[in-house]
Amino acid sequence: MNTNEGWTEVAFNGRDPVYLQVIRLFKERIATGRLQPGQQIPSRREAAAALKINLNTAQRAYKEMEEQRLIVTEGNSPSRITQDAGVLRAIRSELLGSAVGGFVAAIRNLDVPVEELLELVRREYETVRRQDDKQDKKPGIEQGRGDE
Amino acid sequence: MIEVVNVRKRYRRRYVLDGLSFAAEKGRITCLAGLNGAGKSTALKVIMGLAPYQEGAVRLDGKPIDRSSRERISFVPDRIAMPSSMKLADALQFMADFYASWNGARARELMRFFDLKEGDKVGSLSKGMAAKFNLVLGLAPDTDYVVMDEPFSGIDVFGREAVASVFSSEWVEGRGVLITTHEIAEIEHLIDHVVLLKDGRAVRSFDTERVRDEEGKSVVDVMREVLLA
Amino acid sequence: MNRYLKLVHMEIHRFRYFLLGLMALTLVGQILTVAIATSNEAAKFRDPARFSIDSADKLSFEWIVRISQGMFALPILISMAALLFYVFLIWYRDWLGRSTFMYRLLALPTARRNLYLSKLTAIVLFVFVLLSFQLILLAFEQLIFHWIVPADIRGESVFTDVILSNWLFEVLLPLSGSQFVSLYGFGIMAVTVLFTAILLERSYRIWGIGYAAAYVAACGFAVYATPFALGVNQLGSYFYQWEIFAIEAAVCFLVTAVSVALGFRLLNKRISV
Repeated sequence: MNTNEGWTEVAFNGRDPVYLQVIRLFKERIATGRLQPGQQIPSRREAAAALKINLNTAQRAYKEMEEQRLIVTEGNSPSRITQDAGVLRAIRSELLGSAVGGFVAAIRNLDVPVEELLELVRREYETVRRQDDKQDKKPGIEQGRGDE
Repeated sequence: MIEVVNVRKRYRRRYVLDGLSFAAEKGRITCLAGLNGAGKSTALKVIMGLAPYQEGAVRLDGKPIDRSSRERISFVPDRIAMPSSMKLADALQFMADFYASWNGARARELMRFFDLKEGDKVGSLSKGMAAKFNLVLGLAPDTDYVVMDEPFSGIDVFGREAVASVFSSEWVEGRGVLITTHEIAEIEHLIDHVVLLKDGRAVRSFDTERVRDEEGKSVVDVMREVLLA
Repeated sequence: MNRYLKLVHMEIHRFRYFLLGLMALTLVGQILTVAIATSNEAAKFRDPARFSIDSADKLSFEWIVRISQGMFALPILISMAALLFYVFLIWYRDWLGRSTFMYRLLALPTARRNLYLSKLTAIVLFVFVLLSFQLILLAFEQLIFHWIVPADIRGESVFTDVILSNWLFEVLLPLSGSQFVSLYGFGIMAVTVLFTAILLERSYRIWGIGYAAAYVAACGFAVYATPFALGVNQLGSYFYQWEIFAIEAAVCFLVTAVSVALGFRLLNKRISV
């Protein structure tokens, strides 16, 4: 199992605390299924090297995630993503919430009625879903979903 | 902790360092930042005993820096500091002879990581390779502190990536790192603590994550605010 | 002590080809001289027209050396010039050029005085290696002389006479122990003064050269003027000759001690890269 695959193409911005960006990254990957519940994650050191961040930052991020119960570390074994359904649901809601919040904030000054907004969202969603399905059906392409 | 306390250094008529005070803690990466001529390189030389100063003090864990401190602080200069005719293997042996804290196994690891060949001569190294070799010489010994003067200077993009990856690696783990660089924008997410120098004095000293948390500013933002005001 | 020795080894190692070159130059120059001069003189001996009242009846090695003043002295003078040049270069080569080795040396966890002492030791060693080499070479040259000259015209030479027959050897290889110590002690003093002058130049940017020159002048004056101040050239002077010599020796010792101490202090406190 390659725990470091896919970690290296992340870019961090300089304005948000890096450790929060790391946590957000983990949450996104958990919510999208790229990281499965119970999946083993790289050690703090491996994560720092792969993400190209400071060791102290990686340690802080992991500590935060442990406190938020996103990850579980038992004794000396490597940390794993939580399997707690409640936590997983909370992550999904949080990400959804911030995406929706961002959307609403972006269009609030455009003064559009809710029904039109919902219709626009539905159409966009269905277009994107169709494209995703086309990608899935193409031969030879594997969609990596976490642990293969 | 490396402490610089109220150091003043004169060069000809002007004071290159004018009451400079800051600290670099063990286990953290501290960066001295500032515009050209602010005194960054000079501060590092003063710490390493490579330049005299008129007032103030430099301390290592509370005690003044002396010969034994040099066993605990590695220096990575901004230029080649080995005779050109020396082979890399001989240069490594030279360091092993003088530093009780030399770790040969780590030296070999680093040579492999940077893709350097022991049989090459120092004089035949390109600027990028020389900078990497300086890093090998500085990181191989088991020193508590590593002081680096412009480790990215003159290196191409990929060389810089290799050097930057060192800061996330186990080779730096637990040590106090003090660096000066112009490329701070590229590596600001690797740095724990920044000391901004202006006119030979530390005008602002801050924790990078705390400033991002509390003020939403990047290091470059703070620099713009403080230095270009 | 260990690190001091490692530095000495490094200094010798860096200079080895140069040293070997000087030795080779001396070897080739003197052997050729001896071979050619010996052949010529031996041929002259066979010539009946040569005989006159003051010609010797046998050809000696001492004679060969006596008539080869210039050619013998030349490689030695070149070596002396080269070593004098290296007294400066042994320091400056660590600053100038693409690589600044002095950064590395000053950052070493060894006492800074070891840098000074190792370079001093190296220079002294080079001088004595060349001197010993010259002595061995002379013995070898005498052997060559023996091979070329047939026994019937070959005269014996006392080794000390051989040395005395060349003006340069007489100076550089003095036969009395006290002369040897005086000469080379003086030489070591001179090297320490020059080393400290170099360190003065390297420690004080613009004024460095001035301080260095002033220092050399001050030391030179102290050493040169003392005997005259004490009346060495006056008939009715207060001091005996040997007393003047002793005081002069003490002054030289003092100059050496001050130079070394000042050199150490500069390396510890004032040096700048």
